[in-house]
Amino acid sequence: MPSNGAGDVAASGDINQPENVTSAADEELRLLDEVVRTFPSPPVRHLLSLGVCPQCILRLFGKYGPSYSSLSRLLSMLLEVAGDQPSSNYPTSQCTSSGDSICSVCCGILQFIYMDEKQTMVRKECANDLAVSIYELAKKEGYQIDGFCLEVSIPSFIVEKDNAIRLSMKEKYGSEVWFKEILQSETISVKDAIKLYITEPLETLFGVKSGPSSFRIRLTYSSSELLKSQNDAVIKKCAEAQSSRPSDGKASVCFLAIQCYRTPIYVLGRYLKYSRNVSQTRWIIDDERMGESSVEEITGDSVLPLCRGDNYKFHAAGREDIDVRMLGSGRPFLLEIQNPRILPSELSVKEIEEKVNSLRGKLVKVKNLKVVDDQVWALMREGEAEKQKQYAALVWISHELKDKDLQIISSIKDMKILQKTPVRVLHRRSPLEREKIIHWMTIEKITGSTQYFLLHLCTQAGTYIKEFVHGDLGRTYPRAEILQLDVTDVKMDRMNL
Amino acid sequence: MGDAVRAEDDRHQSLSEDKPPHEDENAVAAENDEQDDELRRLLLPDDVSSLPLSPPSVVETNFVRYYAPDFMKPGHDQYVYRHANGCVISISSSFLRLPLNCLCVIGLAPTHVALQAEGGVTSVDFNVGKSDRSEFKVTGKRKKNAQHFQPNSILCNAASGEATYTIRCCVKGSLLEVNNRLIQNAGLLNTSADREGYIAIVMPKPTDWPKIKESLVTFDEYKKLRKLS
Ligand SMILES: [Zn+2]
Repeated sequence: MPSNGAGDVAASGDINQPENVTSAADEELRLLDEVVRTFPSPPVRHLLSLGVCPQCILRLFGKYGPSYSSLSRLLSMLLEVAGDQPSSNYPTSQCTSSGDSICSVCCGILQFIYMDEKQTMVRKECANDLAVSIYELAKKEGYQIDGFCLEVSIPSFIVEKDNAIRLSMKEKYGSEVWFKEILQSETISVKDAIKLYITEPLETLFGVKSGPSSFRIRLTYSSSELLKSQNDAVIKKCAEAQSSRPSDGKASVCFLAIQCYRTPIYVLGRYLKYSRNVSQTRWIIDDERMGESSVEEITGDSVLPLCRGDNYKFHAAGREDIDVRMLGSGRPFLLEIQNPRILPSELSVKEIEEKVNSLRGKLVKVKNLKVVDDQVWALMREGEAEKQKQYAALVWISHELKDKDLQIISSIKDMKILQKTPVRVLHRRSPLEREKIIHWMTIEKITGSTQYFLLHLCTQAGTYIKEFVHGDLGRTYPRAEILQLDVTDVKMDRMNL
Repeated sequence: MGDAVRAEDDRHQSLSEDKPPHEDENAVAAENDEQDDELRRLLLPDDVSSLPLSPPSVVETNFVRYYAPDFMKPGHDQYVYRHANGCVISISSSFLRLPLNCLCVIGLAPTHVALQAEGGVTSVDFNVGKSDRSEFKVTGKRKKNAQHFQPNSILCNAASGEATYTIRCCVKGSLLEVNNRLIQNAGLLNTSADREGYIAIVMPKPTDWPKIKESLVTFDEYKKLRKLS
């Protein structure tokens, strides 16, 4: 294999899947050896003397380093190259120390050295070791993994350092043939490099491919104030291109936060509420719970453990008062499950449905549950504006119900009414008079009573139904006594749920 | 009864209107029937005979009733209905602390002298003092322009023939609205003083309420005082 070819193989990271880590490391070393031997020795020696780590040196030459081999092996190869032409200025022995010290460019990121959340310095032998830590974290959290998406953020000063060292190389070696070749190959940033180094080991460990996925692994490198102040000095030195090694061999390393999370999943369905003592959402005033439970909690507390999420948010298309039941076709709702460890299957969604519906008390029932993507959000919003609502009210009137009443009521079609903001909500809403439409009404007689009846009505969304029926001190018309109110249907024109 | 059946058909149709068209129609029909049966069972009262002969009125249900008997003048009995639900707000986010702004509806108690007079109240005039109370325009959630009234502030004058009676606010608070319908139809006071014939809606400060409450009597006390049953 020609040396250039080997370099390409290493650069693209397209090494055949190893039988095991040892053989992968062996193969890597063989390829690396071929690549590193092509490097001219003065720049290698120069970069080593600037305290640039072996991985960064490879990167600056447009090549990727190893994922499985110990970094010390790479260093010894580079030292060998540097030693071909012994330098009077920088004896090899001094360079050796750069193997242990923190890189002046990547601040340890590509040496897999970082401060963990306990402020302890962690030093991994190779990329694979870092990948194993990430893998163990994800496993501990119990994520069901069908793919992963790696997100890396590094502090901007590292990008600046990278630019500075590239500039200094250009000034020093700009006219050399090998340098012109480097310029033609792809520029590998610190971020590109760390991503590539750990992606392949992660793919092997998880047994899945990386790519667009709801499961995210996020590596956040950040710096302490101390490091920020030091780094200005380093950039200055690199720019001067003359370079003694960075004065502080024990330069601070970056903090690394490793987070695994999954983007929210959405469970869509319809709910029915059979109780007049259950609110739609958790309702607590001055630490006192109103109602015995809420639709939000009954549904959320059932779905959350099945998905093993951190939290949930409940959204519904419209609402009804606590003392109003939601019957008939039910009201569409959406549960947003945050950071779910498990993606519920169709079967387990059915199980959730059964679980909720068999809860003691049977306060709430759910149906048509399904897992949907977040597009449904927009639909819920659109639908909400357009819906009509159908209600049934148990009504009492002061006189005996006559057939004529039934006729009058059922002849009403799309009647406009004027409603002032009800007394009930006036303290928190603007005093306004609104026009609303009553689409239709029918009276259903109740056997055994002449003054009680069921009033079925379909109204424009936003109509205050209770007030429409009892008149709200004449602030809405007409008047009757309403005993109980139920929502029987919520029409969502844009959705078939 | 024919009408009832027809009405029932209407309802049925509209219930099935928005079903997904692609589903098997028989299955949908069966499900609808089942749903309708369940709905009907839930909507109808369990036991018709257990329903009260006449249920509590909307005023009894929604308000706590207080009275100001002989307010500043003998026989000037007024009511202060405090909205019971108004203190409790349903909100979608659970952790808000809520200001307990409760509204009071002010009106004439059935024993008010104006209602006892021959012919009852014949006219109501909100144009009293320096301003016409019916011209106030209160706007916005924060109730901009709401006038601050004292218990003795005059809401309106009610006339019965030659006699005029001064109706006062009874409570300290912001005047949100007066019942403009009384200008055209003062008779509402004679037929339903406790509902369509209310005089005004006032919003006291939550912190003022305990003191206001002390100045009033409860419904039971009022009944006892006026020997009503
Ligand atoms: Zn480095």
